[in-house]
Amino acid sequence: MGPLIPQGIITGEWDFVIALLLGIFFGFILEASGFSSSRNITGVFYGYNFVVLRVFLTAVVVTMIGLLYFNYMGWINLDMLYILPTYLTPMIVGAAIMGLGFVIGGFCPGTSYTGVAIGKLDAIVFTAGLFLGIFVFSEAYPLIEGFYNSDAMGRITISEFIGVSNEVITFGFVILALAAFWGTWLIEKRVRKTITEYKFD
Amino acid sequence: MNKNYIYLTLLLIVLAGGLFLLPEKENYQHMDPEDLMWSIVQPTRYVSTDQVAKRIIEGDPTLELIDVRTIDEFEEFSLQGAINIPIDSIMVPEYQDYLGIEDMSAVFYSDDDIKADQAWVLAKRLGYDHIYVMKGGLNCWIRTIIKPERPASTAAASEFELYSFRRGASMYFTGAEIAIPDDEGKQKVQVARKKKTVVAEGGC
Repeated sequence: MGPLIPQGIITGEWDFVIALLLGIFFGFILEASGFSSSRNITGVFYGYNFVVLRVFLTAVVVTMIGLLYFNYMGWINLDMLYILPTYLTPMIVGAAIMGLGFVIGGFCPGTSYTGVAIGKLDAIVFTAGLFLGIFVFSEAYPLIEGFYNSDAMGRITISEFIGVSNEVITFGFVILALAAFWGTWLIEKRVRKTITEYKFD
Repeated sequence: MNKNYIYLTLLLIVLAGGLFLLPEKENYQHMDPEDLMWSIVQPTRYVSTDQVAKRIIEGDPTLELIDVRTIDEFEEFSLQGAINIPIDSIMVPEYQDYLGIEDMSAVFYSDDDIKADQAWVLAKRLGYDHIYVMKGGLNCWIRTIIKPERPASTAAASEFELYSFRRGASMYFTGAEIAIPDDEGKQKVQVARKKKTVVAEGGC
């Protein structure tokens, strides 16, 4: 059945409608998870709050397992999904710069907008800086174009790269995520004396 | 420690472990055979020689004519603006760059429409869209566009319109001059004069 647009089940014009709906839900979940506060976000770097890591690893793990089951059920064709092309070195450098901005500013681009939405001053300043950064990057693009496009590996997945099946990668990732969940819980308990457990109702 | 965390952990491990029990599934890389069958039986892939001629004459920039005959045949005669991709070279990646162009409609043609149809199926199987086949191929092109036949005098007016378009197209493509019989185009012009009307000016 899926993916809907590449298979021509719905036309590409729906892109924007779907993007709008997904964006609203994404923003809602970010805000509901407490990501509009830079304290929650930067906590991961200081060891007192790992909610960012937990939320995103949960999303990744659920998506990985879900996609493989969906593929098996024939609800989605894994081979038709869009895969972002990999440029290894520029991506590592870009991720390091992004992480630096993360720890200095206390937001990532998406969460800064949720911060703006609820009127956080630091988020507004961060967003202004974000647009300044986009402007500087665009103006400086001719200088860094060579590096930006270097080390191209094409649309490659981890399982294709190391030659292991998707199931093994997913299982390994789930174990890694669970270890991270439990490990960060222990770190949090040590750093933060007054910790409250989430109560399932 | 809350017991629910332990349940959730176990659930994730079971779900991830369950993946190993799934049988191998082969996804078709390009197109499902059933989808291919449905698109093969559709007549919508055909465009007529008249449509192609009209688009060439109008200089339609989205028209991409692809000649699937051999290079020799292509050099001997080809349609205006056509590119040559012999059918045995359609799998060559460099040639495939000509197929996936956004907003372009690629029209295959050959002497008849058999080879063009084969090329169309191959391209469809490779996952390309907006590909068409010129119905009847070059034989039909010669028959309809280059040497159009005058319809019988009892034919419908639309057929005469088509005929006059084809005559014009024939002139366009061959540069031939067409002798127009003297009596044609010499209809007496009826001048319809406007009746003078008295317009009430002012007053009201």
